Amino acid sequence: SLTDQEEALLQSTTLYIGNLSFYTTEEQVHELFGRAGDVKRIIMGIDRFRKTPCGFCFVEYYSRDDAVDAVRYINGTRLDDRIIRTDWDAGFIEGRQYGRGKHGGQ
Amino acid sequence: KRRRGPEVNEIEHRLENLIVRVGEKSTSSLESNLEGLAQVLETDLETYKSKILAILKTCVLDAPEKLTIYSTLVGLLNAKNHNFGGEFVEMLMKQLRDELIAQNYDNALHVIVFMCDLVNCRVVSAHSCMSFLEGLIEVAFQEDIPQVRSDWFVYAVLYALPWVGAELTEKKGNDLKEMLDAITRFLEQRQKLHVQMLRVWSGDKPHVQEEYLDCLAAQVTKLRTENWQEKHIARHYVAFDAVLCDALQHNLPSFVPAGHQETSVYPLPTVIFRLFDYTDCPENGPVLPGAHSIERFLVEEELNWIVRRHYIDRKECAAALLNYSRKLRVPLNYVILEVVFGQLFRLPSPPCPPLFYGSLLIELCKLQPNSMPQVLAQAAELLYQRVETMQPACVDRLVDWFSYHLSNFQYRWSWADWEDCLKCDELAPKQVFAREVLVKCMRSPYHQRVQEILPADYAPLIPEKPQVHFKYSGEEGEKLLGASVAHQVAQAIRNKCTNEEALELLKNCPNPDEMSGFNPLAIDVFVSVLLHLGSKSFSHSFAALTRYHQALKTLTEGNEDAQMVVLRALYDLWKNHQQMMTVLVDKLLKMQIVECNCVVSWIFSDEMKPQFLRQWTWEVMQSALVKLSRHVQRLRAELEAADNEDTKEDTKEDTKEDSEMKADDDDEQTVESKSADAVKEKTQKLRSAEEFQRNLLLSVFHKFTILLTEHLLTSEAEGRDFNSYWYKWVTGRFKQIFLSQSDEVWKLCSELETSLFTNDIDSHILEIFHQFRALRR
Repeated sequence: SLTDQEEALLQSTTLYIGNLSFYTTEEQVHELFGRAGDVKRIIMGIDRFRKTPCGFCFVEYYSRDDAVDAVRYINGTRLDDRIIRTDWDAGFIEGRQYGRGKHGGQ
Repeated sequence: KRRRGPEVNEIEHRLENLIVRVGEKSTSSLESNLEGLAQVLETDLETYKSKILAILKTCVLDAPEKLTIYSTLVGLLNAKNHNFGGEFVEMLMKQLRDELIAQNYDNALHVIVFMCDLVNCRVVSAHSCMSFLEGLIEVAFQEDIPQVRSDWFVYAVLYALPWVGAELTEKKGNDLKEMLDAITRFLEQRQKLHVQMLRVWSGDKPHVQEEYLDCLAAQVTKLRTENWQEKHIARHYVAFDAVLCDALQHNLPSFVPAGHQETSVYPLPTVIFRLFDYTDCPENGPVLPGAHSIERFLVEEELNWIVRRHYIDRKECAAALLNYSRKLRVPLNYVILEVVFGQLFRLPSPPCPPLFYGSLLIELCKLQPNSMPQVLAQAAELLYQRVETMQPACVDRLVDWFSYHLSNFQYRWSWADWEDCLKCDELAPKQVFAREVLVKCMRSPYHQRVQEILPADYAPLIPEKPQVHFKYSGEEGEKLLGASVAHQVAQAIRNKCTNEEALELLKNCPNPDEMSGFNPLAIDVFVSVLLHLGSKSFSHSFAALTRYHQALKTLTEGNEDAQMVVLRALYDLWKNHQQMMTVLVDKLLKMQIVECNCVVSWIFSDEMKPQFLRQWTWEVMQSALVKLSRHVQRLRAELEAADNEDTKEDTKEDTKEDSEMKADDDDEQTVESKSADAVKEKTQKLRSAEEFQRNLLLSVFHKFTILLTEHLLTSEAEGRDFNSYWYKWVTGRFKQIFLSQSDEVWKLCSELETSLFTNDIDSHILEIFHQFRALRR
């Protein structure tokens, strides 16, 4: 049987995107991920202290199918010259946008 | 006894493995593998018959690339055990019937070809195969059926002939000739209006884009004149001639496919996409088969099949394409790219998501870095050279792909080679293409970077830096009517005022148009201020809209003129930032601050004329129409579900996006659908949504008709050629709406015919409607 976490991942429409450049903006993320479908919202990961972008974000779609396409076709391609990775996320919860700072791709 | 279960499974599993794997890389020859496998299966044939039959059936359906391997295997088994062969044929016949009833036309096609190849493997008699094919052709001549139904059966027979043509000529020469004559007669009387709708290019230079049935018929005819000598199909049965020639053959039972029903849907016709001919390929490599050689068709079909099979994994797909079993006989990179672009540009829509093709092409370049990027650049060059006659719907896809591809390769491109586009008319397709690619590439953060890469001559095509323009600021802005209220509202919003407080402040706004029943200036001020304050990012804008959703609703609800003011304010603010406008219009629609019909009126309005032929405008239009049709489909599905089930149900999943349309982010909603009341309510909702959609589509077509009629009339009055760039783009967009909304438009066809596309309309406009309707006739 599946744990709650696994269950949530199987139904999730949210992706965690890692290895972004610190300078990549929401617009750029939208431009790329919008190619896979209708994006509901993007939450940029920010440094807990300096409140600046720090290399990751969450992308939430309206439909699971669109999120699946994003994983299939965007994971491992380039955004702003960096190979980005996508992972399923159980869903964004307030507070998770704060990274640990310092390093990208968290 | 207990221990028997797992043992049986183990054997079955082993058999499955052996059968599925046969023909994969192995140290011994395929012939000896097949012979060995046939021997193994022979001993188990009685005990595991149904399992073996089931495995073979799956192989027929799922591994058409190994068709001749499995037909030979079945031939060998039949030679050893005549009954087994009979049961296999019977099973296949039943499968064909089922696939046709289920409208799985690809599967049905695989079964038919397999059945025909069984003649070569001495499992099926040639004369019964001939009657079988004749039976399929008879369907094409049934009365009162749509042409697409006839088409499919003719296609299936032509498709199978390369496998079995030689054998049938030898054994049933006269019958085959008569059947081919019948096919020719059928093709001659066929209507082909739809071709114009589906062509990627309107011209036939340098390559003719043939209708798919005509093309296949020409290829088969050519093959026939060459005595069915093709060099492509792997005919493994030849090696086993000595064994197979003694086998007893089965007669196929007579087969009558299920009749046509009102609800039957058939594959749409297609047009064959050609990008290259042999002169494009390197001289020292294998030669690209000509357009009417059957090898071209067989190779394309196999590559199409590989894509269809692997499209969910782009890496696997790229590897499988590059590892194509016939790679040494064809200029591989060229045939792959022709197939990939052929799919990407297919109308009405590509078989896989457009993004897939982009990521596949990146993968192909990665795996073959020494040759693929050059051939892809050659393809891009040809596409650019031929963009002149390309349908706008395809130009959009080309722009989207090319800008995506560049973004993965540091935006490097030999732009200097394309400078001829700068000297063209601003509506000339080459210039439009280049401009739209740059717009996509230069979305804000990349603006500087791409500008540095571009040759200086490109300055006129460089989009303005995407930035916000708040009209109520600056020296001029302060003088505008409403400026002081704008500052008050902005201050109040910064202090997090409530919706009511904001509305209260807006009442101080002078109303330039007292008669209109609403205050357009107040709306303009509010929207401008709100979006200006949220201009930092999409998220900030969304948050601003969401917080003042209620006030916005109060100002605009049910009033198209008021909603129009919202869109105009957005446009004034973000004119230079097309992505922002696209995203925000989308959001406004979802929040139901503006409605689809208003977006349509806005796009056709006078103030949007400068933007009318830009790609983003049509993205907005498509997205609005798609949103509406999804909404209708969802209501349809809900009603069906409610009809089927009277018990309480949780429709959380179904209403997810739907409720967003009603109340933005409040997407958790449970609907109790008990009893007839709920069904009645859902029916009501669906009817009104359908009515809304119907009116909207009618109005879109009406607006196009007016626009084009005006153009045709003025051209005539002024003695100008009506067929200008402008006319080509607008008719292209007109066609695009037909195609992208085809599922809904088909339902409206008879109404469109009586109410809009009557004989009073100019024949040029009418023709487009007729071309569309011909797609399913």
